[in-house]
Amino acid sequence: MASTHRRSRLDRRRSLWPFVVPSALIIISVQIYPLAYALYLSFTDFYLGAASSNFIGLQNYVSLLAQDRVWSALRVTLSLVVVSILIEFVLGLLLALALYKLVRGAKLFSTLMFVPYLITPVVAALFLRWVFASRWGLADALIASMNIFPPDWLGAPSWAFVTLVVADIWQFTPFIMLILFAGLQGINPSLLEAGRIDGASGARLVWHVILPALRPQILFVLAIRLMDAFRTFDSIYVLTGGGPGTATETMTLYTYMLAFKQLEVGRASAMGVLTLLVVTGLILMVISVVYRRDKGAF
Amino acid sequence: MVRRMRVQVLILVGLTLFTVFSLTPIVWALLISIREPIDAFSIPPKILVEPTFRYHVDIWLGRGFLGFFLNSAIIAAGTVLVSVPVGTLAAYALSRIQTRASRSLLMSLLVVRMFPHVLLVIPFFVMARSLEMINTYPAMIAAMVALNQPFTVWLMRSFFLEIPRELDEAAYIDGCNAWQAFWNVILPLARPGMVVTSLFSLLLAYNEFLFALVLTGTDTKTLPVAIAEYGGEDLNYWSLSAAGAIGIMLPILTFMLFFQRHLVRGLTIGAVKG
Repeated sequence: MASTHRRSRLDRRRSLWPFVVPSALIIISVQIYPLAYALYLSFTDFYLGAASSNFIGLQNYVSLLAQDRVWSALRVTLSLVVVSILIEFVLGLLLALALYKLVRGAKLFSTLMFVPYLITPVVAALFLRWVFASRWGLADALIASMNIFPPDWLGAPSWAFVTLVVADIWQFTPFIMLILFAGLQGINPSLLEAGRIDGASGARLVWHVILPALRPQILFVLAIRLMDAFRTFDSIYVLTGGGPGTATETMTLYTYMLAFKQLEVGRASAMGVLTLLVVTGLILMVISVVYRRDKGAF
Repeated sequence: MVRRMRVQVLILVGLTLFTVFSLTPIVWALLISIREPIDAFSIPPKILVEPTFRYHVDIWLGRGFLGFFLNSAIIAAGTVLVSVPVGTLAAYALSRIQTRASRSLLMSLLVVRMFPHVLLVIPFFVMARSLEMINTYPAMIAAMVALNQPFTVWLMRSFFLEIPRELDEAAYIDGCNAWQAFWNVILPLARPGMVVTSLFSLLLAYNEFLFALVLTGTDTKTLPVAIAEYGGEDLNYWSLSAAGAIGIMLPILTFMLFFQRHLVRGLTIGAVKG
């Protein structure tokens, strides 16, 4: 009796697999196949407009790695990602703690602060462009009204970098805040009480009790932000276009330029594959930390 | 007591500061959109001027943004119509089968999610070009389904996990087969989840820029592409494009007001559970 029961359960489980087929077909045809095709393209000299293309092996990769522009793009990408995420994380954590401690009004504040994250990224970038535009932008107007000569936010290399960091902070701090705030609300209050009885308070309580309890959420926001920051396209395209010159050109932006401005599709694919390799490396690092420290957090 | 009050005041000040930081660019754009360029940029700045809505009217009716909105709506709706039913089926199966195979399938969906979009858009462009499908809705919808599918499956699965498996068992005992159990018993209970998932998919498709920039053309241009072209340096266009930007934002704000309590789930999908 028991064995027939288990048997029928197994059969039922098998009968569910066909449900997965349509989704699998979609993923294979519009994700896996295009990616395989991109990988193939990266080994060719495919040029838009040329009649034919040839297999050239690793030549695209070799010539890319010899370009200063590629290394500069890698440097810009990494520094943008690291600087933005660090600031966002600290700010997001502080805001989440503040919301948690606030007696009333947390919902109103979190809703208002969340608006930049949800609006269309291109629109968000335009909003910031009107703030940072030279002369007529809000930032310049405010600074000039204090009789200080304003910096060239989008035109000077280092200020353009700062502007992009501010843009990223403006848009993505709310995401980190909301996830950590949700995590805080899930912490068992008795845990905090126990910490307090042990004499921990303020920063010590945060460090020894709250942060360890938030570990799954912290790793989650860091992993997601890492993936997303690497492929940021919209805001950089709208705000600086990678300029001035190539001062703020990221790997994503350079890949786009190669493919759709210089029409070097083969080489662009190789650049995209390199980007994928860098992101994968970083994500694997994060995941290995997760699995070593806290098995099953993901 | 006094100390507690002081902490609360400090927190309030901090939160208010960040809220002001968050909202200033949006308010600034709103102000630009309802003022004549001459008033908006006069020095010293004029605060009180008669608001004008002629730029809002002009951008939507006179500059073709209504058409771009229609394109955005068609693409977003098409995406949801393909992605959500297909994703729901898979999500149901993956919430009920809990084996090694199903778990590695879910993980591989997460891996797919992390592919750089710029790498995916290149083969899409080359393929769409050789099929002569650039500037058509199906090409853009296919791309959006590709980006949406992993998210849809994970989000729907989280809703199915909340429906007790005893209900499936009861349906089987009553003689249902797998499809009948799903269609007659489980799916009706998952309907709120489908609404939330559809809205998130809608939002993702509505916001997409890179793929729209590459795959759409004059007949299928979506709002993000159109507004990016309008954000020119020319000061005379500021009021017009600010009006467009504010208009594009409005549906999203409405969405947010209604779905606030589902936001966290939508955003954390793929986190702790699984």
